[in-house]
Amino acid sequence: MKLPELKASQIWAIVLIGYLIPAFIPLGMNPVISQATQTVYNTIQSLPPGSIVMCGGGGVFAFDLESSAGLIPAIQQMARNGVKVVFYPMWIETMQFNKYCVDSARVDEKYGGPWKYGRDYVFLPYIPGNEVGLVSFMNDVKKTVSVDYAGTPIDQLPLMAGLNSYKDIKLWICAEWDGVTILRYVTGQYGIPVMWFAQSSAYAAYGSYMSIYPGQIYLTNGALGGAQYEKLNGITGLGHAALDSNVMFTIMFVGFLVLGNLTMLFGEKNVNRKVKT
Amino acid sequence: MISVDPWVWLSAILTLCSFSLLYGDNKFFKFAEYTFTAVVIGHNVVMGYFTLKSGFNPLFTGQKLLLIVPLILGLMVIFMVWRKYAWLAAIPMAIIIGVSQGITVRALVSTDVMGNVKAVISEGSNFFIGNPTDIVGVMLRVVFTIAAVSYFLFTFAFKNTASKPLEYLRILGKYVLLIYIGIYIGNQSMQNSMLATSAINRLVRNWLGFG
Repeated sequence: MKLPELKASQIWAIVLIGYLIPAFIPLGMNPVISQATQTVYNTIQSLPPGSIVMCGGGGVFAFDLESSAGLIPAIQQMARNGVKVVFYPMWIETMQFNKYCVDSARVDEKYGGPWKYGRDYVFLPYIPGNEVGLVSFMNDVKKTVSVDYAGTPIDQLPLMAGLNSYKDIKLWICAEWDGVTILRYVTGQYGIPVMWFAQSSAYAAYGSYMSIYPGQIYLTNGALGGAQYEKLNGITGLGHAALDSNVMFTIMFVGFLVLGNLTMLFGEKNVNRKVKT
Repeated sequence: MISVDPWVWLSAILTLCSFSLLYGDNKFFKFAEYTFTAVVIGHNVVMGYFTLKSGFNPLFTGQKLLLIVPLILGLMVIFMVWRKYAWLAAIPMAIIIGVSQGITVRALVSTDVMGNVKAVISEGSNFFIGNPTDIVGVMLRVVFTIAAVSYFLFTFAFKNTASKPLEYLRILGKYVLLIYIGIYIGNQSMQNSMLATSAINRLVRNWLGFG
């Protein structure tokens, strides 16, 4: 038996149709909340009003849904509970991502939300040096950074008056890449819990950090974790929108995997038969 | 309803140009590729300028005069382009690498090496605690870690009573690594698929106004 070989363009056309189906006919997938996502939600919920939470990490790919799906409802939750957030960009594009998530969460006063810039949240500028910059920041905030992303001196921002070193940070949220650097230093060196709205691959590769620092590090799993977080927040946002497409892609992915292996298997059998004859 | 925002249209057109590569290399893709590269470089240059400006501002206002040291070291890096004076660039480069390696190695050893060993030992003591799925998870983690480490440690040939069991452990370690690579690549594909989902989501919802 010879299975037909598909051209790349045919495969992509099938994938595109698979992606588009949920946009027109929603599958209405209902995410089951994982223990890690529930713990992240509970941890943020338990923070007293006025607590300072740092949020930041490395880069992001095109504001990918993987991490923004979880971060946006978390920002809404923190704004609702009076928690203050300082955004720390370790890579250049992180600033845009942070601003995109805050805008999407619609928590600022200009959208009728409870947050005011400078009092409840601050965007720091890109801080170069990766781990060197991070260690410096944790030890002395004011010596490491003197202005915010718009060039306003940080001593003019009320929120920054209460942030001098790692001792003032209650929690670190990472929704970007390079979360491992954050885990190694923020939890490893300074003992601050980290909640990582991780990409699915980061979750698979770095899940062991949850064992290394039990009870201090929790990773949510990509867009699925984001959808779970939205469910806990009582909203349907990017995570739910992505979940249907994700399910379709997973089905197609497994289907093509099986088909590819069968094609290779039958191809090998045919070659062996020809060699024997 | 279809969007009337010109930025959404620009985003949609560039996304479609990028996706056109799936059909084959073409001028639309090249246009999107070069536009993206130019925007990234332009953005990085501007951001670099403002980062330097804000970083060295306290020096010029007289608040932190010691910043003259990193400024001079930074300027010394420029000498890298002149062969005759390239040795001057080696000094700041050595400081950068030395400091970052010193900080990294310390954290790496305490977290990834010692932290992992401690986690495996402490989980080993929980072999028969918790529900069955937890027990299986702990067992897999401990056994797989030992097997994978054995694969790298026992690479030399020796003959004694332990050689046969160790050989089996190494073989198991090889399969553990293969399983890990499979999971990692599968997840990487899922993550990349999410980028496509993100782009198509923007096209369908933000541009075309469906959903």
